[in-house]
Amino acid sequence: MDSMVRNPDVKQRDAAQAVVVAVSSDAIFDPEVEQVHGATEPLRKGDAFSFMKAIQVVNERLLTMNSDETLLFDVILLSNDSEEKHSRIIASAKHYGLDIGRFCFCNKEDSIESLQSNNVKLFLSTDTNDVCKALQKGVPAALLYRPTDPHHQTEDQLKVVFSGDVIGSSEEMLHGLREQGFTETQLQGFKTAKGSVKEFAVLMGEMRRRFGLEGSPLCTGLMTVWSSRNVCASALKTLRGWGLLVDEAFCLAGAPRSPILNLVQPHILCLDGLYHMEGFTGMS
Amino acid sequence: MSEIKPTDPAATNTGEEKDWAAAKAFFDSLKTRKPRPPKPQYAVTIAVSSRTLFNMVAERKIYEEEGVEKYVTFQQEHENEPLMQGVAFPLVKALMTVNSRLRQLYPDSEELFDIVLMTNNHAQVGVRLINSINHYDLTIERFCMTGGQSPIGYLKAYMTNLYLSKDGEKVTEAIEEGIAAATMFASGDVENQLSDTQLKVAFDGDAVLFSDESEIIVKQHGLDTFFEHEKEFENKPLAQGPLKCFLEALGKLQRKFYAKNERMNCPIRTYLVTARSAASSGARVLKTLRSWGLEIDEALFLAGAPKGPLLQKIRPHIFFDDQMFHIEGAKELGTIAAHVPYGIGQKYHKGKLIEQPDKDVKDKK
Repeated sequence: MDSMVRNPDVKQRDAAQAVVVAVSSDAIFDPEVEQVHGATEPLRKGDAFSFMKAIQVVNERLLTMNSDETLLFDVILLSNDSEEKHSRIIASAKHYGLDIGRFCFCNKEDSIESLQSNNVKLFLSTDTNDVCKALQKGVPAALLYRPTDPHHQTEDQLKVVFSGDVIGSSEEMLHGLREQGFTETQLQGFKTAKGSVKEFAVLMGEMRRRFGLEGSPLCTGLMTVWSSRNVCASALKTLRGWGLLVDEAFCLAGAPRSPILNLVQPHILCLDGLYHMEGFTGMS
Repeated sequence: MSEIKPTDPAATNTGEEKDWAAAKAFFDSLKTRKPRPPKPQYAVTIAVSSRTLFNMVAERKIYEEEGVEKYVTFQQEHENEPLMQGVAFPLVKALMTVNSRLRQLYPDSEELFDIVLMTNNHAQVGVRLINSINHYDLTIERFCMTGGQSPIGYLKAYMTNLYLSKDGEKVTEAIEEGIAAATMFASGDVENQLSDTQLKVAFDGDAVLFSDESEIIVKQHGLDTFFEHEKEFENKPLAQGPLKCFLEALGKLQRKFYAKNERMNCPIRTYLVTARSAASSGARVLKTLRSWGLEIDEALFLAGAPKGPLLQKIRPHIFFDDQMFHIEGAKELGTIAAHVPYGIGQKYHKGKLIEQPDKDVKDKK
């Protein structure tokens, strides 16, 4: 059971044509703040703030190019908060002028169902566990990347990075990993991950093509963390086949990923299988 | 110059260890048994740009005359045609040779050369670059294609020990960030004359291995003052120059061969090619190297004679110098030369002070 509230301050998108993205309210507004009963001032900005601003930039540019554009981001704020916080959330969104189309208030247990019933193309959270759970239930999900310095993250351009280790690996390669310490669950997870990424990648590809190579408000990237260059090349071609021509590509081949991610500063990190790495210990 | 590698290489967090373990697993599972790249904090990382690795002169022309969209389209259309070898190609092959020898002697060591492709090319051009790398069977597994953004920040992120590019601005920026870097210049077809069993690296002294402090004296007070000064301060080590740490990294790898009794057969040889004279100003240089605990295999004091003919005999895979005058001289006689844009030498050409032009709005590509 959820309650869906439309935001009167934002022009409603055509949900069937838009890229409907659900964002956890804990990411947009800082949940750490002490909840004082009856408090009315706007909530503090959370980690996803620059992401929200960047999405706005993309939407504005799309509408400038074509005022009838329907391939826009349509944001649903997903909140599991207590009822007394609801109006404060709505007021805070208005205060910051956030481009949130709808507010979805529901219990934590009902979140997945809400996501499924609202044709959400991507669920975003800063919590890897939430992302994993959603993916396991077949809801496309990605990580809102938390930079070490949130003030440094760009608000002028939306950066979406796809991880490519699984996308670029053949069936045979993934099969070969069995002898290297990966569990059956992990390997199965890799297979399903590949499928869930595709739809969002196709949408991003279409949106990216609205803009030229330079000066685009949307920047897309590919990163392979543990594979060889050929897996990266294969991932590039696979994405290309799905209509997504990424701007940037990084092949780490085992080099530490944080320094690179801290430079790339993506807002959205689409993990195709990286989250399955939790608990991987390799051959001891 | 800043230390590139973390001071305690053993201090990596568990996330990094997991990524590393996964990479190891992936490469071990490959049927082709190609060697996996070394752990960055132990490796000597050399970042090369796409235009130094491959000859992209024709493609570059398209970029400059017809713009980025036509350029990327062209590259995509020719994706399956390998690019021709570039000016850094012989160096890369030599680095690979050293790695093979190191792997034979130390099969479990991560102290190897790691070659990274660092380019601000658009990722779609990457497919052609990777296809070309495959064609020549180069061991380059790591790359950064930044789609137009400057690659400088990534040099630090990859713990780069040496950056080679055709773009002087990027190289200058890297040096200012404390990363050893040089701008490479094409010199014609020399690779078939270069050794394929021994990596040879030649360095100028002042403003390359050493700071430009003495060169400032020459430029501002003349040679006589320079000689007197160097004699007086013979026992005072010179300050470090931008390439000192790279020489140090080479020395570390050389000692691994010495430890296995391979000194006579060492696949790395270093040269100092300096305008200083052995009789006077040369002593300070040798003493400085000794005070740093660094060895150089051959020290050649030219006492002002041209460097070109000597380099022609040495045939290094790369020669570093801070003065364009020497770079040009080296190039004319077929040496692969790399300019280090550091120090007072940048303000002079052939002994005369260069008028600094107003900075135009530059195309950052």
